[in-house]
Amino acid sequence: MLKGFTRNFKPLEILSEEQIEAIHTGILDVLRRTGIRFESKKALKLFEKNSCYVDYSNNRVRFPEGLVEDCLRKCPSSFHVKARNSSNDMIWGGNTTYFQALSGTRTINLDTWEPKTPTRKEYYDAITVLDALENIHIIPWYTPYFGFKNVPSVMAMSEGLAARLRNSSKFICANYSMGCEVFNIEMAKAVGAELRTSMAAAPPLTFYSDAVESAYRVIKAGFILLITSGSAYGGTSPATIVGSLISSNAEITAGIVLAQLIKPGTRVIVQDFGFPQNMRSGSPAFGAIGISLHQAAFNQIWRKYEIPTDGGVSFPSSKKIDYQAAYEKTITSFIGALSGTNTIWIQGALYGELAFHPIQAIIDDDLVGMIGRFLEGIEVNDETMALDLINEVGPIPGHYLNKAHTRKWWKKEQFVPKVADRLTYPEWLKKGKKSCIDYAKERMDEILATHKVDPPLTDSQENEIERILKEAREYYRKKGLITNEEWASYKKDLESPNYPYI
Amino acid sequence: MLKGFTRNFPTFKILTEEQIEAIHRGTLDILQETGVLVYNERALKIFEKAGCNVNFETKRVKFSPSLVEESLRKCPSSFRVKARNPKHDLIMGPNNVLFFNFPGTDTVDLNTWEPRTPTKKEHTNLIKVLDALPNVHFLNAYPYFGFSGDIPEVMKEIEGVALRMRNSTKVTIAIANNEIDIFTIKMAKAIGTEIFANPNTSSPLTYYTDQVNACFLAAEYDLPSMIWEGATSGGTAPASIVGALVLSNAELIPYIVLIQLLKPGARVSVANLVLPQNMTNGAPAFGEIGVSLHNVAFNQIWRKYGIPTVCSSCGPTSSKRIDFQLGYQKMMPALLSAISGSSALQLYSSIYGEITAHPIQAILDDDIAGMIGRFLEGIEVSDEALAIDLINEVGPIPGHYLSKAHTRKWWKKEQFVPKVADRLTYPEWLKKGKKSCIDYAKERMDEILAAHKVDPPLTDSQENDIERILKEARQYYREKGLITDEEWKVYKRVLKESSGEEK
Repeated sequence: MLKGFTRNFKPLEILSEEQIEAIHTGILDVLRRTGIRFESKKALKLFEKNSCYVDYSNNRVRFPEGLVEDCLRKCPSSFHVKARNSSNDMIWGGNTTYFQALSGTRTINLDTWEPKTPTRKEYYDAITVLDALENIHIIPWYTPYFGFKNVPSVMAMSEGLAARLRNSSKFICANYSMGCEVFNIEMAKAVGAELRTSMAAAPPLTFYSDAVESAYRVIKAGFILLITSGSAYGGTSPATIVGSLISSNAEITAGIVLAQLIKPGTRVIVQDFGFPQNMRSGSPAFGAIGISLHQAAFNQIWRKYEIPTDGGVSFPSSKKIDYQAAYEKTITSFIGALSGTNTIWIQGALYGELAFHPIQAIIDDDLVGMIGRFLEGIEVNDETMALDLINEVGPIPGHYLNKAHTRKWWKKEQFVPKVADRLTYPEWLKKGKKSCIDYAKERMDEILATHKVDPPLTDSQENEIERILKEAREYYRKKGLITNEEWASYKKDLESPNYPYI
Repeated sequence: MLKGFTRNFPTFKILTEEQIEAIHRGTLDILQETGVLVYNERALKIFEKAGCNVNFETKRVKFSPSLVEESLRKCPSSFRVKARNPKHDLIMGPNNVLFFNFPGTDTVDLNTWEPRTPTKKEHTNLIKVLDALPNVHFLNAYPYFGFSGDIPEVMKEIEGVALRMRNSTKVTIAIANNEIDIFTIKMAKAIGTEIFANPNTSSPLTYYTDQVNACFLAAEYDLPSMIWEGATSGGTAPASIVGALVLSNAELIPYIVLIQLLKPGARVSVANLVLPQNMTNGAPAFGEIGVSLHNVAFNQIWRKYGIPTVCSSCGPTSSKRIDFQLGYQKMMPALLSAISGSSALQLYSSIYGEITAHPIQAILDDDIAGMIGRFLEGIEVSDEALAIDLINEVGPIPGHYLSKAHTRKWWKKEQFVPKVADRLTYPEWLKKGKKSCIDYAKERMDEILAAHKVDPPLTDSQENDIERILKEARQYYREKGLITDEEWKVYKRVLKESSGEEK
């Protein structure tokens, strides 16, 4: 079992009880008065059967308060999730905090900082790095990249899942897209792992059929459902933080009702994935402080409902591994951790969803180590208070350097980062003025030279993965979702002697 | 008056009430059992008169819990500090949050990242930038330790204070080393501003005479004090975080007792610069997470005492560059101290340790302060902000919020838009030359230096007073032998050469 980090103090709270109540009332009001649009006949029927008011003319579902509260109660407040290697299992919920890599569409060139499509090898190597980093507990969908060169987009998710299962034994996720969840579920079962898959609302107040269809499949497989709403405050939800909270929580709550109606007790985790809208460019304002205010309030509300939360989605708006990327990632992840997010996204991402780099993941792993050390808090007992020692040492020239107490406690109290520059100026000059990026490059070389996935897939598991991938390729070829042109370059990649770069 | 930021939610806490009580009892025990070493006769006598157990031979003073608790109670939980321009007056405590700068001895070359002594112009430019930045509420001592041109060591900070008074109307701090505060406090009085007296502790449990004298000056001139504590856990304090906390709190209290004995109700704040020791090279471990654990607990206890706290440990980092590491090492302690109750954060302009600072860094830090400030303001929950009717009206897709009056009204209020962050999309960013936050900060610095004027400048008579007090100081230290003949020869030449230039 992976311990992750335990928050040993009360979470940061920024809302009063009355404010939480007002928000809760607002959510129920929206669900009852306006309701949610579900583009799925199957779901509409299920809702109707369970005393919702369903309008088939516009696929609108209005929810009675009792049903909503009943379904919120049916969600487990914490639960076990299984990885391929049971030492990487986790318990989500309560005051545990785990960290996950955060994806980008493409990799970046560290000299020009421009994005480029990764190769299959870069994709597999990046997973090796993520598997090796001790503060990464989850390797989610689209991680590290959305896909790689020569892979048709419809195959990117399943190829990515195969890569993650091959090069890591940590808890892995895969998402839905064009029905690929069917193959993903099969692969996970073949290697004895559970999956987490999302069910995403389309804000405002809408769920499309692909999300619903996937949710049915994931729940049937007995896997974990992450219910999310990625609204832009000021675009697809109100510009005010509380307004947007009501709108996105109404969507998530409707998703929960569906999940618990399909199968009571289904393990769900709810995600805060909204961003303020950058009103100048119309794109999401990644790295903005509004994300943290939203997240802190979101956590406080869902803690009340006793449902585990996911978020702290630390996309910077900076394009470089620089000062700005750091403060944007730090505040988003730290507020997430302090206010009680159970699973936080951070390692590896650069500019909002578009760029990822393993060097960034290595540097972020130090940042996560610091957050984790902070969450553990302060030990207060006779030995740490050290009253006798302080009285014994007394004023100057007394000191603490040569004390047994110091030798014992400094390592326990301090967190020593792996790739931070901690030298004095003379040392730093002598050693070539290295920065954290230089140290991270050294660590990456080391990891790629020495790290082995534990355990690797067995031959029969590997055969199963390959068989399922073949099935998927054929399925999408037949459906015409892989064009002849795509297939030609994909086939060349598959026939390469290095395939699949494990 | 400068508003600062308002913390609109209960402070973030990591200790239980029982733990706070245990730490408080521990602090009292150290003060009563071991006491402190005070190299200052005048203070020893005052402590004796107040009923402390004083040994004049060993200079050891032991304090009764009742005197300590009474002194803590006498301190105001919030107070105003007057600036030369009233628009820069400060409110310290309890939920007003201010920012100021952390000094570096040197500036840094932004191409080689190597430190070097700043010129007088560079020193002045950093002051001007700090004066111009809206979220810098007051100025620390320095911001650099002097400037190039062979100024005698003892005169460096006195000359620095004169530069600050000429180029800024924000409140500043009078350090006490070598009694230079005798002169800098006189300067402050001459131009009609208050200045923080700044007694420093020497860990463990020791007080040197010039530092103690700062308390007497604070009483004499009726000034607020900022007491500075800078132990290293594992070196001059225990390696455990609470052990260091007990020791550092015990070290701050004797100054509070003295100040309250001299002038009951005097304005006091406590500044925390406790850092873990880097056990591999013996230097302080700047930027470590232990800094924040200590500071959050420190804030929680001093809020209990009702005395405003200053976080000094969010300034220094262990990075030598303006890079990713610097960013997380600054954001983390600043955020944590702001939400846990600091009244002032010493965030701006510093880079590595106490060695380097740069105005570009100050401009970048202004965005961090703005973000933290926006977080502190919290979330407005009103009918209009809740927007329930609007959500019901917009409904599902294809409804949206872009065209709504509510969006136009609220987005600016809800969002904080940083001044020098890169917020472009990839196509825009490529087109505009792939600029980073440092590039934008350079542009903002040029703008500030071209446009910013100190408001108001010193009057001629104030300028004459400053010059007269500088002369007095030079003579005083000549006589004391702290300016050697050799130094004086060079210094005199420098003064003559610079007599015509801009102040």
